[in-house]
Amino acid sequence: MHEVGIMESALALVQRQVTAHRASRADRVVLRIGTLAGVEPESLRFAFDVVSRGTVAEGATLEIESVPAAAYCPTCQQEFAVETGFIFICTGCGDLCGEIRRGRELELSRIEMS
Amino acid sequence: MCVECGCGKSIPFGVKVLSVLAPSLLRPRPATEPAGAGPTMVTPPLASSQTIEVHASLLAKNDDAAGRNRALFSQRRMLALNLVSSPGAGKTTLLSRTLDEFGGETPCAVVVGDLETDNDARRLHRPHVPVAQITTGTACHLDADMVGRGVSALDLAGVRVLFIENVGNLVCPAAFDLGEAVRVVLLSAAEGEDKPLKYPPIFKSAHLVLLTKTDVARVLGFDCAVAADNIRRVAPQAKLIQLSARSGEGLPEWYDFLRTHLPPR
Repeated sequence: MHEVGIMESALALVQRQVTAHRASRADRVVLRIGTLAGVEPESLRFAFDVVSRGTVAEGATLEIESVPAAAYCPTCQQEFAVETGFIFICTGCGDLCGEIRRGRELELSRIEMS
Repeated sequence: MCVECGCGKSIPFGVKVLSVLAPSLLRPRPATEPAGAGPTMVTPPLASSQTIEVHASLLAKNDDAAGRNRALFSQRRMLALNLVSSPGAGKTTLLSRTLDEFGGETPCAVVVGDLETDNDARRLHRPHVPVAQITTGTACHLDADMVGRGVSALDLAGVRVLFIENVGNLVCPAAFDLGEAVRVVLLSAAEGEDKPLKYPPIFKSAHLVLLTKTDVARVLGFDCAVAADNIRRVAPQAKLIQLSARSGEGLPEWYDFLRTHLPPR
């Protein structure tokens, strides 16, 4: 459940942005989460509900954009999409690959505020 | 598991040093700017709803602290390793023997994290090894700031290898860079061969996987070959060493790994 700590970081960023733009509240918070980030979207939603209480983001809509994973095959020298799971088998040559090119994103993407 | 897992400042943690150091060396934490990205200048009030693009990492605060740790380790020409595993996989036992054998020829230091007690720091304490115990309270992983504070309490003069023994947890530590050069994931023969398949993120992030307690594998019906194959499938990037801190099997290979990864002076 490190999602609570991660959501606290997200809300600190949201608070900062809302203050900087002299808005009064966040209406929508959009996160980009890679499928390999080791973070559960459902746990994030739960954490958001709890941690956002009493903040500028209370009652805001939380949107989580999933970033699909991509790996790199050194033999074929090309990226390939990882459909599911954590075992990356190159779609070109069938080798097992360990290099992750995308899918570890853990990002506050944008905020809709008023 | 923990209910208020620990990246927030609200969670207190302690650093206890078991080494040759005076308490005066426990430096207070320097005041830093709050983490966060984006404009700080004053802008006119919003007339209506507006969408602001932010694109800031949610782990920016940890990553900044990890960067500072990495710079310190690099400047001191130290090899820093982050040891992660489930509780009871043998991190402390491996380190104890490593400090006695490898540590006799190469100066080492340890930062060890647990929720409570300084038992591990006591087990690891040697006259020649500075050790700091970090108690995390309820936090289920070490973060880079905790490690930075633990390290700053130690006398690192001459130290070539820093072992960071993480909180026993095969999930949460995966997301937190501590500034280490090498991430070591331990899997013991007392666990299941399919653990790499069940907990893939942490294995995916490993540079080195240690299959530990191989001396009892046969008794426990643990198939090392199956485990090794699962590790290779999930973490083909990682080197694999099979060892037993009790029998000594595989330890020379572990020490060779440490020697070859020492930064040049």
